[in-house]
Amino acid sequence: MKLAWQNIIHDRARFSVTVLGVSFAVFLMVFQGSLLIGFLRAASRLIDASDSDIWITARGVQAFEFGTPIEGRVREMAAGVPGVLETSRVCMAFAVYRTTNGKQQDVALDGADRNVGKRFPVPNALGSAEGMSPDALLYDVSDRDLIQVTAMPAEVEVNRHRASIERQIEGYGAFLGVPFLFTSYRNASRYMGVGPEEAMFVLLRVDKGYSTSDVQQNLRQRLPEVDVLTRDEFARKSRTYWTIKTGAGGAILTAAVLGFLIGLVVVSQTIYANTMENIEEYATLKALGAPKSLVARIVLTQALLCGAVGSVLGLFTVIPVVDHAKSLIPWIYMPWWLPAVMVLPSMTMCSLASIASVRNALTVEPGRVFRA
Amino acid sequence: MPKSRLMNTVCEDSGELASNAVEVDLLKSPANSRVLAVEDRLEPGLTVHEVASSHFLGVEGASVSFGKGSARVFALRDVSLMFERGTLSLVMGPSGSGKTTLLSMLGCLLSPDEGSVFVDDVAVNQLAETGKTAIRQKKIGFVFQAFRLFHSLSAIDNVAIGFELRDPKQSQRLEMARHLLNQFGLGDKCNQEPNELSPGERQRVAVARALAGNPPILLADEPTASLDAQAGRNICQILRNQVDEHGKTVVVVSHDPRWREFADRTITLCDGQVEHQEKNL
Repeated sequence: MKLAWQNIIHDRARFSVTVLGVSFAVFLMVFQGSLLIGFLRAASRLIDASDSDIWITARGVQAFEFGTPIEGRVREMAAGVPGVLETSRVCMAFAVYRTTNGKQQDVALDGADRNVGKRFPVPNALGSAEGMSPDALLYDVSDRDLIQVTAMPAEVEVNRHRASIERQIEGYGAFLGVPFLFTSYRNASRYMGVGPEEAMFVLLRVDKGYSTSDVQQNLRQRLPEVDVLTRDEFARKSRTYWTIKTGAGGAILTAAVLGFLIGLVVVSQTIYANTMENIEEYATLKALGAPKSLVARIVLTQALLCGAVGSVLGLFTVIPVVDHAKSLIPWIYMPWWLPAVMVLPSMTMCSLASIASVRNALTVEPGRVFRA
Repeated sequence: MPKSRLMNTVCEDSGELASNAVEVDLLKSPANSRVLAVEDRLEPGLTVHEVASSHFLGVEGASVSFGKGSARVFALRDVSLMFERGTLSLVMGPSGSGKTTLLSMLGCLLSPDEGSVFVDDVAVNQLAETGKTAIRQKKIGFVFQAFRLFHSLSAIDNVAIGFELRDPKQSQRLEMARHLLNQFGLGDKCNQEPNELSPGERQRVAVARALAGNPPILLADEPTASLDAQAGRNICQILRNQVDEHGKTVVVVSHDPRWREFADRTITLCDGQVEHQEKNL
């Protein structure tokens, strides 16, 4: 196997091209993977942040961002279904935001009852009310440039209503291009002009001892005019809408696949050239009695070595770049396992790349060794 | 040039070939052939047809042709030659006479259209490709005109790969390679790559690689063609010593007349047939 390593590093220029090809592919795959995972995560982040078991939405709502009002009686009827422990409301709508210096900006305004869940960004939720008024507005730190608040509390306007921005939060940055503002349900419904009895989403917690699916079925029978979904179902629906129906996810996924294919072509070309350059040596090896398996192993080892070195280089490059990209793309997210998992397709890519050249190395006629 | 071993049983005439006909028939008849497991010599699981020891190395009634129909050209036509153990045989002849084809057959790199090839008493043309590979691995060392060293490996690694191919479990191969290179006066060149060595040094490394693992047969194709007079003579002497001191069987294909004084026997081929054979006493 020393021959495999020596062969590839002997021509350093070619080795560099191969390694760069692999690292480029790994970089692209990990970066696009981070975009895709971050996008999926952002598409259902607020749904996942709730402590609810069941979400009730207006019929046909595709995603959290497109909620439409449902009648207040729905909430009351749902509360009466056996197994429903608690209800809460969430609303979301686009609003016009104006800073004190007169700059106007569209925002996505979210309001929720305080019992929606500890992770849901609501000013009066348990554990987050210290020093804040019940109707305060929160914004994500990544939207600072759009919100343009220099000191807090800051007096601003939302849909021509006076409002107070009182705190920065993290992890709920905009992925629609407009910043989120979070406030209480009461405040948000007032800004949006939603009737006091209406809600966009009714969230339910199921009591212990009851099956979520049984309660869901019961609710569907009693409330046929709305959609009754478990939290996971609504989160999945929302992610599917943003990634597949809008084409955004498809574009990101396509870029990741293209990264793989470009890497495959680059690596195939260089591995193939490397093999053909050493074809006489493979003939010599076979003449000296090397079995085909050894020849195949050498070619495959060369490809995998290029893959390993290229992957490490690609990962060392992409990790700080993704970290840096968070300032521009706040929802980008690279889970710890993504770089590790992406080594697998890169090694697969190198193995595939070696197949064409292995065939040449295996079929080379050993008798050519006698030609001068 | 002293030759401590002189051939005394060269198969020179058709009469002796006829005496081997019974053994050839054995090969042709599976029911009568002795199928021996030769685990010490071949890959596990491989069985070969083994015949009498007088067929140590050689070809019998071998014909090789290239092309088809009217374009068919015979490289060798009904050639029968046997090479005894512990001898150095020189094969000469003009270009196109079939020397390299003969060497390819003896090296299990080419199968005859007709006839038989024997390597260490095994009828190799009956073997599958894996069997021939195993024979080359265990029995035959090659020396080439163009050296054919692995350009990215140092001299010692080139020799070590010879040990590795013959015995992948050999853990002392670097030490053994160093010892072999020392024997050939290349102890101080162990870590140099082939392109840093002179042609004579490269050929000595190639010979060391061929000898790694101690194969009983050495096949050399124009081993001195790329060398100057002194380097060529060194190679001749090294191969002669392998016959005299280690009992190896060496077949050299060459145009170089210097080999005559080192060879036990000279065979001249012409137009794919044996034109002349002589013992060099």
